[in-house]
Amino acid sequence: MPPRASKRKSAPPNSSSVTSSDGRSEGIEALCSDLGVDYTDVRILMLAWKLKAEKQGYFTQDEWQTGLKALGVDSLSKLKKALSDLEKEVEKPSNYEDFYTYAFRYCLTEEKQKSVDIESICELLNLVLGVQFRPQIDSLIEYLKVQNDYKVINSDQWINFLRFCKEISFPDLENYDATQAWPLILDNYVEWMREKHS
Amino acid sequence: MSAQKKKAFQIEAFKHRVVVDPKYAEKTWKILEHAIHEIYNHNASGLSFEELYRNAYNMVLHKFGEKLYSGLVTTMTSHLKEISNSIEAAQGGLFLDELNRKWAEHNKALQMIRDILMYMDRTFIPNTHKTPVHELGLNLWRDVVIHFHAIQSRLQAILLENVRRERSGEVIDRGLMRSITKMLMDLGPSVYQDDFEKHFLEVSADFYRLESQEFIESCDCGEYLKKAEGRLNEEIERVSHYLDTRSEVKITNVVETEMIESHMHRLVQMENSGLINMIVDEKFEDLGRMYCLFRQVSNGLVLIRDVMTSFIRDTGKQLLTDPERLKDPVDFVQHLLDLKDKYDKIITSAFRNDKTFQNALNSSFEYFINLNSRSPEFISLFVDDKLRKGLRGVTEEDVELVLDKVMMLFRYLQEKDVFEKYYKQHLAKRLLSGKSVSDDAERSLIVKLKTECGYQFTSKLEGMFTDMKTSQDTMQGFHASHGSDIGDGPMLSVQVLTTGSWPTQPITTSNLPAEILGICEKFRNYYLGTHTGRRLSWQTNMGTADLKATFGKGQKHELNVSTYQMCVLMLFNDADRLSYKEIEQVTEIPTSDLKRCLQSLACVKGKNVLRKEPMSKDIADTDTFLFNDKYTSKFFKVKIGTVAAQRESEPENQETRQRVEEDRKPQIEAAIVRIMKARRVLDHNNIVAEVTKQLQSRFLPNPVVIKKRIESLIEREFLERDKGDRKLYRYLA
Repeated sequence: MPPRASKRKSAPPNSSSVTSSDGRSEGIEALCSDLGVDYTDVRILMLAWKLKAEKQGYFTQDEWQTGLKALGVDSLSKLKKALSDLEKEVEKPSNYEDFYTYAFRYCLTEEKQKSVDIESICELLNLVLGVQFRPQIDSLIEYLKVQNDYKVINSDQWINFLRFCKEISFPDLENYDATQAWPLILDNYVEWMREKHS
Repeated sequence: MSAQKKKAFQIEAFKHRVVVDPKYAEKTWKILEHAIHEIYNHNASGLSFEELYRNAYNMVLHKFGEKLYSGLVTTMTSHLKEISNSIEAAQGGLFLDELNRKWAEHNKALQMIRDILMYMDRTFIPNTHKTPVHELGLNLWRDVVIHFHAIQSRLQAILLENVRRERSGEVIDRGLMRSITKMLMDLGPSVYQDDFEKHFLEVSADFYRLESQEFIESCDCGEYLKKAEGRLNEEIERVSHYLDTRSEVKITNVVETEMIESHMHRLVQMENSGLINMIVDEKFEDLGRMYCLFRQVSNGLVLIRDVMTSFIRDTGKQLLTDPERLKDPVDFVQHLLDLKDKYDKIITSAFRNDKTFQNALNSSFEYFINLNSRSPEFISLFVDDKLRKGLRGVTEEDVELVLDKVMMLFRYLQEKDVFEKYYKQHLAKRLLSGKSVSDDAERSLIVKLKTECGYQFTSKLEGMFTDMKTSQDTMQGFHASHGSDIGDGPMLSVQVLTTGSWPTQPITTSNLPAEILGICEKFRNYYLGTHTGRRLSWQTNMGTADLKATFGKGQKHELNVSTYQMCVLMLFNDADRLSYKEIEQVTEIPTSDLKRCLQSLACVKGKNVLRKEPMSKDIADTDTFLFNDKYTSKFFKVKIGTVAAQRESEPENQETRQRVEEDRKPQIEAAIVRIMKARRVLDHNNIVAEVTKQLQSRFLPNPVVIKKRIESLIEREFLERDKGDRKLYRYLA
């Protein structure tokens, strides 16, 4: 999910090791190792968000240059520092929902694709919400894997996962009301949870 | 004679004071006092009214009104004291008599006294705000006689004792009772109430409390109610004879409370004679009585209604879940109708058409009819049976009655769309096989359904009728143009069905026998010649055929068969024996249909025009079929065709259910879109409520299904969730 290939032509100074004529994945991996960050790390995703990268796996030249300028970064060390600042920035409530929604869109690789398969969703959930909502996410992922009503998740369901984690008390799920406008998948999840615990 | 000046007359006042004789007042009073004595001693005849009046008049005129008045009070009081004593002295039964007599006398005396003292009554008394004579007389009577301790308690006791005696069957002097109670009333309503009525009601309550306890231990419900009614009527009669009319409502209240209200539950639940038994045994009179009596006590009718309702629900539930009953749908529905009739009768004849009871009956029926998901199918089968044969030879009015009853059951259904599906299927079968008893009856029912559910419900059904008519016309045209061509060949009669109107059929294409291909092609060409742009496909699973068959010894029969059966039988013109596989290959009839078809041709007694090897009951892939040379029947025309509509097997039922669920999805979505288009923004619960409301004339939508449809609409971007308030949905134009 984090960007794999990169097509950027010019690199910030001191990142010439990353340039390669056909923009292969070694480039990004190298970038990541330079930054001391695993390329499956969520911070790469955050970087993509900040750079407003349109397509998964690619930074266009434009995105790269504009984004780095916005970050005020012109060297690798500054990029490293910017990454940790980025985490704090994303966690601000005003940005978080935007980042969260972005994460889903980022996974839509095909034109006109509206949903993401369950497998990928589970990984994405873990990556994006795992730290902040560990127990909910673990339980939800377990459910998503065993249920077979849904094979894909759409953006409406995705956004409601976040709301669920934020609003519903866990693990008792006391304040969840199935007659409200929660998506059916969450109604089923709650029912499954309640049965498990009874 | 005098010519002297006339002296004017001078009038001078008396020079001395004129004083009335001081003894005058006393003297006059004595006269009057004496008169009062005489009046009370029944010697009034010797008195001169005019003189006495004048005396009283003069007293008042000369300002001795006070003396007159107080004298009156004193005199009357002392007389009444005497009277009290004499009344008190009366023994036993004579007490009341004496009291009554003295009262009458007092009234007469009072009248005379009042007449004599009328001037005072009209002038002095109002001026001094004293009590008028008549009233004074009553008050004195009340205070001196009635409230004289010895008399008061005795009076009360005797009055109540008389009532008690009368209640236990003795005859008492009602006239005397009346006079006494009238006296009490004349003395003032509070006298009547405090001295008599209050105690009367208390004692009556005790009496009836005891009596009702006795009765309830010894009588059954019906008898008890009769007794209660009897007592109630008795009290009403008692009041009319010798009590104040305003006592009626009070005493009836007492009786109702003690006899009915206190024992309400016990009566209704009484074993072997309570409400349920009365209903089951149709004891209209007893039920009517119960209704009237219970109506008078609070929650009396509620009790009856509730017990009746739960009984109906239980009975209905039993009927709906009894597997034996459910085997025969027509019988089952008939039972439902009988049940409704029974209760309608009870409500009309015993419960005075009480609307709340009607409503309770309706809601009970609605409750249990919908307990069984097969009810819509069964009701349609019932109608099918009636329209096929049940209504043969029945008068038009009676037909209407039956159809109205069917409509009544239809109204109770929650899943009207399921009924529509089955009704369509059954109607199609009826129309195509020409088996309907009366075209008018069919149309009449459609009209009723249309009135109930609107045009949409019946438009397709009407389309079916139209197709039938049009086909007739088409056939006429076909025969007119091709009649001469046919000659000896098979006669064809086609019904052209418009796809949208008729129940959807799975597409099957079996092979028609060569013998009829010719004429079929002719028809196809004819039809398409006059209707360009249409596509025709033969529905081989729905037709019938009449075959002329000759058997071994030359017996000829005319066989009425289904199209499939025709396809199979025609094969035997060229072969005497055929295996299952061969038949299947040539005809290409779908397996389950083919097996059913072969079964009806080979395994049914009296209709086995084919023989099967082996002779087992079921059709196996390995069977062989032979033409049954030896077939005989005493009828020339033999009907082997498919039978009338049957109740579906379980798997068929599941399938239909599924189709219904599928059909409902777009309806729910359309409702959601309609609502959101109008409201723009709406919260979840309200959408569910509105959708349910909109669709309730067809079916009851499942809230989970509604939610799923909403999500589907969100995905397809017809709706979105509100960004601020998660509970709201927005319409996306």
